[in-house]
Amino acid sequence: MPLKIYIINKQIMTNPQIEIQLIAVVVAIACAIPGVFLVLRKMALISDAISHSILPGIVIGFFITQDLNSPLLILLAAFTGVITVVLVEMIQKTGLVKEDTAIGLVFPALFSIGVILIAKNANDVHLDVDAVLLGELAFAPFDRLLISGMDMGPQSLWVMGVILLITLGLLFLFFKELKVSTFDTGLSSALGFSPLILHYGLMSVSSVTVVGAFDAVGAILVVALMIAPAATAYLLTSDLKKMLLLSVGFGVFSAIAGYWLAHLLDASISGSMTTVLGIVFLLVYLFAPSKGLLSVLYRQKQQRIEVSLITFLLHLNNHQEENERHVNHLNEHINWQKVRSKSVLELAQKNNMIGIENNIVSLTDKGREFTNLALEYIITNKDEKIEHMKEDFFLFRG
Amino acid sequence: MIDRKLAVSVDDLTVAYNYKPVLWDIDLQIPEGVLMAIVGPNGAGKSTLIKAILGIIKPIAGSIAIYNKPYKKQRKLVAYVPQKGSVDWDFPTTALDVVMMGTYGSLGWIKRPGQKEKKASLEALEKVGMLSFKNRQISQLSGGQQQRVFLARALVQDASIYFMDEPFQGVDATTEIAIINILKELRKAGKTVIVVHHDLQTVPEYFDWVTFLNVKKIATGPVKDIFNDDNLTKTYGINYKVAVNK
Ligand SMILES: Nc1ncnc2c1ncn2[C@@H]1O[C@H](COP(=O)(O)OP(=O)(O)O)[C@@H](O)[C@H]1O
Ligand SMILES: [Mg+2]
Repeated sequence: MPLKIYIINKQIMTNPQIEIQLIAVVVAIACAIPGVFLVLRKMALISDAISHSILPGIVIGFFITQDLNSPLLILLAAFTGVITVVLVEMIQKTGLVKEDTAIGLVFPALFSIGVILIAKNANDVHLDVDAVLLGELAFAPFDRLLISGMDMGPQSLWVMGVILLITLGLLFLFFKELKVSTFDTGLSSALGFSPLILHYGLMSVSSVTVVGAFDAVGAILVVALMIAPAATAYLLTSDLKKMLLLSVGFGVFSAIAGYWLAHLLDASISGSMTTVLGIVFLLVYLFAPSKGLLSVLYRQKQQRIEVSLITFLLHLNNHQEENERHVNHLNEHINWQKVRSKSVLELAQKNNMIGIENNIVSLTDKGREFTNLALEYIITNKDEKIEHMKEDFFLFRG
Repeated sequence: MIDRKLAVSVDDLTVAYNYKPVLWDIDLQIPEGVLMAIVGPNGAGKSTLIKAILGIIKPIAGSIAIYNKPYKKQRKLVAYVPQKGSVDWDFPTTALDVVMMGTYGSLGWIKRPGQKEKKASLEALEKVGMLSFKNRQISQLSGGQQQRVFLARALVQDASIYFMDEPFQGVDATTEIAIINILKELRKAGKTVIVVHHDLQTVPEYFDWVTFLNVKKIATGPVKDIFNDDNLTKTYGINYKVAVNK
């Protein structure tokens, strides 16, 4: 039996390609979850700050443990991350500077302490700043976890696996508390869910994740994996659970696609993954069904036409005199600057709302009914009235 | 009236932001069963007073009791509707989900809402006339509808004391009437309702109790006794004339 497992290990787990992708996927999921809450709390910048300011924690931890993957080092470094948050908040509380300025003050200071520590001890430490910032996923499988001589797979896979399990457990237990404290701090506090505890809980998880992942993928990819999937998912859904699932999906997709892109281009794996994350975000930003740029522009254009249409129909409704309803006169009577009168006429005709006889426009029964409903809606704002028209008219949606 | 139980008692309360006091030495007794307005100019500390009572802000001095016990022990007796601007309306959540948050307090940590909480939340939505919007994302609601959802969230808490910070802010007349009717119903059911209110004209019509606040407490008591030009002038600093007696 043990022999068999060993063989399976040998065939599957020692295949560096699969191992690299597995590590990337685990890191992506572990980052996406706290990332969602950071994005919703508008704290994306703080993850960047943490990722840099943990450097002195890592260096000091490394002096003590001599092992980049030791749990003690991870906790020490994560503690530096939490200190960053505390410092930022203390500076902010003085009221002298805004949050982004406070972040800008704290993290370069801590980061440079880390750099100096490395430089001063360059001889004893095999750590360099480039490796910390950019990371190199390709080397991750070289660090093996050996238990009594047996190869258990890459060390960083185990480290990140444990971090991911803890994150999932905490998310499962405290989902409702995280949700309410992110949406409404005041209510959360009044209900007895201390926003402070939840805030520092989230900061601790984020710090531990960043520290655990930096060795495998580098600080820049960690930040990208935390923020980009969440920001992308935010554009696609109005449900927190779906946002979490989508973020995880985007993270995993970008990790795998990025890996193969790197393979194809013979480029840096972390760099390719970051690129894919950026491309996915851009595509969603442009094409998302309701919050995407194109659909927003389309909706605005459509609404302009619809406003003109209703103005036009109201005008017809209000005027029995034929000279007011002559096609050539309509241009003067209604403000058409934004929309060509032709497209409005066409839209009204296509919907059977008007009839044109001898260049005199009149409302059909359907047109009259629609105009009255629209008028009533504009006055009362009662949504029930126009529920059935929502599908056809942007104006009446939300 | 004299023997009424005290719902809320505030003693010598001082609250500061960055060591700058915004509420000075407030004493305030709120009897059970009143529908009370807190009035005062912008920045008077009305929201801060409510937040201090609910333990959201730590005061630098003074004590607060809800039915003679500290707030921490009485959480389940209290419902809170924060000022509308204090939450992120673009948050990915629906009207029903926001109302369900009102049930979280009675659930405590970790436990999740189930069918019972969902049913109560749907009933609360129905009560404020928002049932047909239950799945609407909250940013897609009008200002009045958002306020109704907030009210439903407070109703679902099934509390004894309700704190509402400017529930009429940015709502139309229909919604205002709907909300005040629900508040009056709560009072009829023996609840205590405390509302930060801005429209002085409607104070006598809506409320039976009033507190004038401007950094210090100016006056508190029955509307018919103390809602007068004298107190208004003391609170707002200018000579205020309102039609107190309709
Ligand atoms: N978080 C805060 N930090 C610093 N000052 C604050 C904060 N919140 C409110 N203030 C200040 O406290 C005072 C009272 O505010 P608030 O209670 O919101 O007044 P009101 O609700 O009566 O308009 C104001 O001067 C306001 O600027
Ligand atoms: Mg206020």
